Amino acid sequence: MTATTQTPTATRSKADVGVEQKVQQLRDLYADAPELGKVALENGLPALKQELTAATAAQNAGRIGARQGRVSELTGIFPFAKGGAKRLRGLLQLLEGNFQGADKVGTVHDMRFVFLDNDTKLLFATAYDGEWDAYIDDFATKIPNAMDLLFCNAAGWPGIRSPKVKDWIVEHQISAEAWYVANPNLTVTETRRLERVGKAVEELLDKIG
Amino acid sequence: MVTTATPTKVKGSGKSASAQQKIQELRDLYADAPELSRKALENVLQELTDQVAQTPPPPVESAGRAGSRLGKVSELTLIVPLAPGGAKRLRTFLRLLGGNLNGADKVGTVHDMRFVFLDNDTKLLFATAYDGDWDAYIDDFATRIPDYLDVLNAGWEGWPGIRSPQAKDYLAKHQVTAEGWYVANDLTVTETRQLKRVGKAVNEFLDKISE
Repeated sequence: MTATTQTPTATRSKADVGVEQKVQQLRDLYADAPELGKVALENGLPALKQELTAATAAQNAGRIGARQGRVSELTGIFPFAKGGAKRLRGLLQLLEGNFQGADKVGTVHDMRFVFLDNDTKLLFATAYDGEWDAYIDDFATKIPNAMDLLFCNAAGWPGIRSPKVKDWIVEHQISAEAWYVANPNLTVTETRRLERVGKAVEELLDKIG
Repeated sequence: MVTTATPTKVKGSGKSASAQQKIQELRDLYADAPELSRKALENVLQELTDQVAQTPPPPVESAGRAGSRLGKVSELTLIVPLAPGGAKRLRTFLRLLGGNLNGADKVGTVHDMRFVFLDNDTKLLFATAYDGDWDAYIDDFATRIPDYLDVLNAGWEGWPGIRSPQAKDYLAKHQVTAEGWYVANDLTVTETRQLKRVGKAVNEFLDKISE
């Protein structure tokens, strides 16, 4: 399950393959698709050709996960420990969605906790800035207690301070096959700075207006 | 664009009492947790007291038919069964695109989205962060990039097609609402792009006046 990321070099050499060739590959690929999908492929070809031309090498986030520009994805599915689902749900409800800890980490764009398969598994999915190792380190140094509080509810969680924690996460992480970010070059910090700039500009315009 | 702190929610009295109550509930909840996390709870309790006592950002709300929303940004998490051959087709398609899903730029309300294959390629996880309400979001996809969507979803078991009146029911049926949802910046995709332009203009302006 680890490292399903394609290497950039492999993808880059494929870029030499003509777009027409790729289109043919797509047609072959969809030959046995439902009628609906085949029609959609033909209808969508003009737009698809553009994207095939622009296709760039997929990037990876370091040890595991996909990255676009400066923003990476982490997707993990963790089996719950006994009583873990109930505890985590209770904790999330009491916090009422207030994750100040994540603000403190400062590199988290978004994150979600989703309960799967009758509360037997937890899906955790996040978008964050930069590299995998640095991201995990940020959590470990900035909000270690909150991490233990949330993830002790997963079976086998070794504790954020354990030297085994990174291996444990990798074991449960699944790299996204495709990853899209609308503003790939904006980190959380940069976006916050732009918010302040925008506000300052508005005030300035108000004053001179 | 204004990051409102919803001051109306702050009520001086009764607040700390309910915070105390919540802390107690947390202690009860973690009474049977592993030693590690009971310790973590005690360590973090002061912080949590502040946190539960404080005005929560805006509360997490429903994104409409399914999913959670925090401020302006919603989450959609889908797990769909893949038809035989569906995973291979979708994976090859995604690889041909080299991870370039810029068709989503056209929709204009998508912050991020990911495709993840699960359980030996028998299921697909699709997870996205988007602006606004569920119905409008699905409508956006249906009107702006219908074919693109049908190519992507061709491998989904039972997918009726985005133009089908059953499309929304299909999506809602396979969606799992997140019970925890965090978004760092309460900005729409459009607002963020506008701020990028403002930032650039300000830089140019500052360059000019310092020349």
